[in-house]
Amino acid sequence: MKNRLRVLRAERDWSQAELAARLGVSRQTVNAIETERYDPSLPLAFGIARVFGLTIEQIFEPGEIAAG
Amino acid sequence: MSAGLGWGGFYTARDARFQRRVLLWMLTFALAYVAAAAALRFRAALPAALPWLAVGAALALAFQVTRSYVQFLRGADELLRRIEIEALALGFAAGSAFAMLYPLLVRLGAPAVDGYWTALVMMLGWAAGGWLGLRRYSSRAGQSFGPHQGGSGQSLGSHQGGPGQSFGPHGDRPQ
Repeated sequence: MKNRLRVLRAERDWSQAELAARLGVSRQTVNAIETERYDPSLPLAFGIARVFGLTIEQIFEPGEIAAG
Repeated sequence: MSAGLGWGGFYTARDARFQRRVLLWMLTFALAYVAAAAALRFRAALPAALPWLAVGAALALAFQVTRSYVQFLRGADELLRRIEIEALALGFAAGSAFAMLYPLLVRLGAPAVDGYWTALVMMLGWAAGGWLGLRRYSSRAGQSFGPHQGGSGQSLGSHQGGPGQSFGPHGDRPQ
C-alpha cells in the first residue's frame, strides 16, 4: 500500500520519533510504514489520519493487488 | 505515548517495561527449574513434600511466564507483535518438524536424543525468527530519521516505488 507519510511528516518538520510518539508506536513502525514494508492496522491508519488532520484516503492509496 | 526505545527503535517504553517483566519471570522460572531438578535428584535425602513443592513452584512459574508473555504480546507495538508472532510460528514449525522427522533419522543411525532437544529447537527457531523479523523491518543503512529524511539522492529500493527511486531534499516524492 502506497502512502504519503514521509512527505506529510517532512511538511510538518517532524522526525520519525516525534511522529511515533504522537501515534504511540515505535519509530521502526513509522519507518516500516513509510518505506512501505508494513501496512498499518486500521486503528493505526485512523490514528495517522487524525494526527495529520486528513482522511485515510488522502494518505494511503491501494497498491497494485488491491487496485486489481 | 512513547517513542521507540531499545533494540533499534522497535520497542516503545511500554514494550520494554513488559519485556523486562517477561525476562524477570523467565529467570525466576529457570532458577525454580534448577531447584526442582536438584530436589528430584536428591529426593532420598529430603523431606517427601519438598520435591513436590519444588516441581509445583516451577509449574506455577511456567504459567506466570506464559501469562506475562501474553500480556507483553497483547500490548506490544503492532509491528513488534507481528515480528513476535512470525517468530513464534517459525519456532513452532522448526520444533514440530524436528519432533516428527528426527525419529526417522534415528532409524537411519543418527544418535537418539531426548525430548529436551525439541524444546531447544523450538526456542532456537523462535530466536532466529525474531532476529530475521527485526532485520527485515529495521531501517536500512544510509537512511536517516530526521524531519528531512529522504535527503538528496537517497535510494529506497524496489519496495518503495521502483529501484533507484529517490526522494528530494524535503521528502518530495516524484510522481
